[in-house]
Amino acid sequence: MSKEENENMASKSLESSNSFVTLRDVSKNYYNFKALDSVSFEIKEGEIFGYIGPNGAGKTTTMKILVGLISDFQGEVFIGGYQVPKQKEEIHKLLGYLPQNVAFQEWRTINHALKTFGKLSGLSNTEVESRIPEILDMLSLSDVRNKKISQLSGGMTQKVGLAQALLHDPELLVLDEPLGGLDPLSRHQLKDIVLDLKRKGTTIMFSSHILSDVQDVADRVSILSKGRIKQVGTLNELKSRLSPQDVIEVELAAVFEKWQNLKSIKNVKDVELPKPSKILITLDEGANTDQVTNEILQYLEKTGGRIRSIKPVLLSLDEIYLRYVEEDKNR
Amino acid sequence: MKLPLLFVDELQGFYKSKVMVFLWIGLPIITLLFRFISLGTTGQAIPFTIVSTIVVSSLAGTLASVMIGISIINEKNRHVYELFLIRPLKRRDILLAKFLSVYVCIAIASLISISVGMLTDYFTTGALSGTILSNAAQSLATSLSMVAVSCSAGLLIGVASPSVLVGAILVLYGGNQTSIIPLVPTLLNTPDIVPFTIGLAAAVCVALLAAAVALFERKQF
Repeated sequence: MSKEENENMASKSLESSNSFVTLRDVSKNYYNFKALDSVSFEIKEGEIFGYIGPNGAGKTTTMKILVGLISDFQGEVFIGGYQVPKQKEEIHKLLGYLPQNVAFQEWRTINHALKTFGKLSGLSNTEVESRIPEILDMLSLSDVRNKKISQLSGGMTQKVGLAQALLHDPELLVLDEPLGGLDPLSRHQLKDIVLDLKRKGTTIMFSSHILSDVQDVADRVSILSKGRIKQVGTLNELKSRLSPQDVIEVELAAVFEKWQNLKSIKNVKDVELPKPSKILITLDEGANTDQVTNEILQYLEKTGGRIRSIKPVLLSLDEIYLRYVEEDKNR
Repeated sequence: MKLPLLFVDELQGFYKSKVMVFLWIGLPIITLLFRFISLGTTGQAIPFTIVSTIVVSSLAGTLASVMIGISIINEKNRHVYELFLIRPLKRRDILLAKFLSVYVCIAIASLISISVGMLTDYFTTGALSGTILSNAAQSLATSLSMVAVSCSAGLLIGVASPSVLVGAILVLYGGNQTSIIPLVPTLLNTPDIVPFTIGLAAAVCVALLAAAVALFERKQF
């Protein structure tokens, strides 16, 4: 996608209403290195927004700009109507953030850290006292409440990081690689928590390079590569936008003996039978998929083929992601 | 205003640290040892109150600047501040809380050490002369002024230094040299030294703290 198309797509998406987070033409340079290049997207209120890209793509830089840790950038960023970094103090009241490498002062116990961060986020003593057990219970940390954080494993520390982000019930939760270092059970638990928070109306942005995790929870996804947004959309939108339209998959209710005859249809290049009840039909380049699909349907009806489904083959999120990342690598 | 909360929080962290344990217990022990050695070598009894203030001023200042400088560099490099900076608080409060907590801890350690000196003098000589007490108070004021300058120098170096090694070198050389500034009125034989010493230390402290805060405000995390 050209830069112009990227910008058009971004500005079009920014026109839509109920956006809680808006980034407009955000760029960030580290000396001669362009970490972000005209990044634009929006996050709607109450949605889970997956931000994916390879290491060094600029995910953490975007998130740090969003939460106000980096204020030296070009472009505009708004959260809940407030401008970053000008109205940082207002924004910080709405925000929960889990950094990629979460760290605490070594002398702190979990309880002490949560008390401090809760109070700094504006909770009263009573609120802190009632919220801490709830959060610790949610994250299965109750047993280690009085343990020093420095004595915890990486995964447990990550959970404490999440606890501090959730403590004040923020409207926007920004999670930078939240599943890194977690065991499978904890990953599952965290995904459930994220989905539960979405049900309660929390807007969530989370980054990852583990695509299955994003696929499981995100409403919309943005692919970032070398500091540029390659795609933004729902998973289905991305799949249909990027998938090759030249392969059609036909699933049959019964074995169809004459499957090879499908080759005689105009614009059909090849026909394969990977399973007895599944036919893969490759079309000529530039063929009208809808028209050929119609002709295939008519042929199968005439010749007694019992169709269960017919659809274009879609790429998985992994394949979409790899396609863009590889494209950038080859530049 | 989150400064009181951050101050109490930092205080809780520092008073339990190994460096503070050394200061609470180690500093009085060192002064006792110093006293023992000085008796053996000179054969002349120096008032222990004076000995303890000399030890406090020489050790506490260095420890203060190293402690605060290294603590800031470590926390900065480990990204500890990120969780503070995304909350509705002023960046300067983080630094001021650290400065105040270290200063209070060291001031208490200095008082304990000097009190040990005074008690030892009282029990060995049976009384404390007015001159000794006045000299001790003057020395204490000077050492606490030096500690304040050391702390603020350590704070600035901590914010500015990229690594612990660079920070340690700068603190040991730069921090120590800067902490001598409050001694200028003493070296110039200024009459009524204490107000001048405290005033000069306060001015240097404010300048160093302002520089540290300005640098921290502009820092990208």
